[in-house]
Amino acid sequence: MAESFYKSLDIGKDVVATRTLLHEAIPLTGTIVSGTYGTDNIKNYAHGMFQSVYDYPYLSSSANHIFDITAGVSADSAIYSSVSNQQSKKLNIYNQMAQVLVGYDHTGSIQRFDEDGDVLAGGSKLDDVIFLNFARLLTKDEIKKGTFALTLGATQAYATPFTDRILIQDTSGSDGYLVNSPVGEYGILYATNAAGTRLNGNDQKCGLIFYQAGVCALTSSIFQSQLSSSAYMNSSNEDMEAVLTGSNIEAASDALRHRIYNLQFNNTVELNSSVYFCRVNHNEFNYSTNPTYLSGSKIRVKTQSSDLPVSYITTVGLYNDNNELLATAKLSEPLKKSSDTEFTIRVRLDY
Amino acid sequence: MSYYKFEEDDLFINTIEAYPEYRFYTQSGSIYINSTPHLSGANTDHITGVPKGFISLYEYNIDRPSGNDIYPFIEKDGHRVSLKTRAKTSYNTSLLFGETDNGSYNLSASISRYYVNSSDRPRVLALKNVLNEYAIHSPHYQYSSSFGDKNSQIINLISIPSIMYGSRIKKGSVSLKYYVSGSLVGELQDKNYNGELVQVGPEGSTGSGSVAGVCLYREGFMVLTGSWDLDSNSIETDTTGPSKWIHFNYGANDGSTIGTTTLSASFAMEYKGTTHTQVLTMFAHAPYGELNHSNNPTYYDSTDTQGISSGSLQYIEQPKKIKNIVHSQFLDEEPTFTKTTYISKIALYDDEKNLIGIAKVATPVRKTEEKQYTFKLKLDI
Repeated sequence: MAESFYKSLDIGKDVVATRTLLHEAIPLTGTIVSGTYGTDNIKNYAHGMFQSVYDYPYLSSSANHIFDITAGVSADSAIYSSVSNQQSKKLNIYNQMAQVLVGYDHTGSIQRFDEDGDVLAGGSKLDDVIFLNFARLLTKDEIKKGTFALTLGATQAYATPFTDRILIQDTSGSDGYLVNSPVGEYGILYATNAAGTRLNGNDQKCGLIFYQAGVCALTSSIFQSQLSSSAYMNSSNEDMEAVLTGSNIEAASDALRHRIYNLQFNNTVELNSSVYFCRVNHNEFNYSTNPTYLSGSKIRVKTQSSDLPVSYITTVGLYNDNNELLATAKLSEPLKKSSDTEFTIRVRLDY
Repeated sequence: MSYYKFEEDDLFINTIEAYPEYRFYTQSGSIYINSTPHLSGANTDHITGVPKGFISLYEYNIDRPSGNDIYPFIEKDGHRVSLKTRAKTSYNTSLLFGETDNGSYNLSASISRYYVNSSDRPRVLALKNVLNEYAIHSPHYQYSSSFGDKNSQIINLISIPSIMYGSRIKKGSVSLKYYVSGSLVGELQDKNYNGELVQVGPEGSTGSGSVAGVCLYREGFMVLTGSWDLDSNSIETDTTGPSKWIHFNYGANDGSTIGTTTLSASFAMEYKGTTHTQVLTMFAHAPYGELNHSNNPTYYDSTDTQGISSGSLQYIEQPKKIKNIVHSQFLDEEPTFTKTTYISKIALYDDEKNLIGIAKVATPVRKTEEKQYTFKLKLDI
């Protein structure tokens, strides 16, 4: 820097911390989840506890992991005793998700997912749940409240699931979210008819969406008792209850994927910034020690003795207490400075 | 959960210097980066969503159907923060407060070639100071010298974006190969580690041992001026005629027309980049006799009912029994109780006890009172 002129910043007046919210729109069409790539973008594991969905065949290094699907059944569920396939794994999944997302009660017992989030009041519980765990790549800091929308095929026939559709949204998310979860804020998912009239009434509670954790917990009844007649979840025309009891988690995940018509949400990233207001008074920074400032011991930009001294500000350096340079801010174009002008240069540092 | 403060010897930062290799192969206007084929997808011509021969910065929108791209957006508010692609005037006049400013994630980068044969050469002129600065390494850098005047010479300028080399190109790693009909007709290397691109092959070829240009390692440019004939075959490049270094990489994002004979020329450019990754290493100690208790509900014996005593002035919970998890080979004998915990996570806090990071161990580590551990945590910064 040509001129070594240090000016102290007043921490109280000249430095301000700000936070900006940057969002991303995440559309995940049903064709990505189930269709375009067949099962090449679906990864199943030997442990059989969940299924991973990628946006491209997962053997390609370009593929991005978008979410995992799994299913859990509570020990208090009406169907628990009937579960003949992966019973303990379904129970463990439910308990693991519940203890992380809902927590424990005063006796140390795991609390169950509550339909309306009011855990203390009791009420209906979600005991047979399908979980969608979204990748951090997509949810970033959090899912933006009020933007989650999942459209599911609700037609009874398995082969043509999308003739009738239901739309699941966190309609109360932007202002009616809940905070009594160990993992942050969550909203209640409501289902409405998007095509046809398969729901037993609009605005039915059908699950929870955990914004910071990036997890959607969807009750299995959305395919069954909340519809006018149960949807067939596989080619054997089994309903969701039959799939959860008689089939493994992979089959339940496949059944859900088959009925995802569209899934979209916006995410949020918090950008923290410090703004430094660098004030240049009229009688400051009008000269330069840059070698090019002088020509023949005369100021190059001054042709007559009566001319005002002029300099051009190109860079602002930020120094620490020991006058060690920490950062430089460059102006897009040099700023003409003379003794009859004053500036406040706003330097923003994102981190 | 206990808090421990890192001591001076528990923290240190070191830098890993890596040299990632890059290879660009150009033929008839197509560029192949690191031998990656151009993959067409079910929805797009190129799965990364950027033009062929380019790398995608985020690799977010892989083979996305039209109109279904992930994109960033920001709402115009009092902070007046906008996306980089939004022009200042447009932000001030076209975008109202509360409206969203949409961006795109399909950002791409690739090498570019500029064939400079006129006096109007702003790109070359912009490098004048840099070239002269490096003249201490080789006189061939000099903008104007007995080796040529870059203000009037025909120059083949190849520009490499920094995402493809990091902080600088590694000295001695550059290799440019010129092929005609699959046969190598010329190879340049910076064999003297001083930026001179010297023709090293094929053995006995015209111009062998001559300097055909220079490499700007930090700035990511190859400045080629070699104009001798490498091969007698006439090829349609910038001019129709024999192959020369000034025609190297013809068709690499230079807007050139690909002629019939152009197809027989192909070019390979290889080098190593340099990247620096700072790594913070932290040693977290679990000393003898400490970290032997857990607040996890499963730490207690679930069969033990917690006793309470209460009165009008007090409510006292009796201590709960800790579950004895010491292994015994005998079913009918309770082993001697030993306090045992399993360390599964190490959390990092700032000086105001805000949680800023969590390190998880692959499998929980068994900790008893007579054991001590030191966990080595590494954080790329």
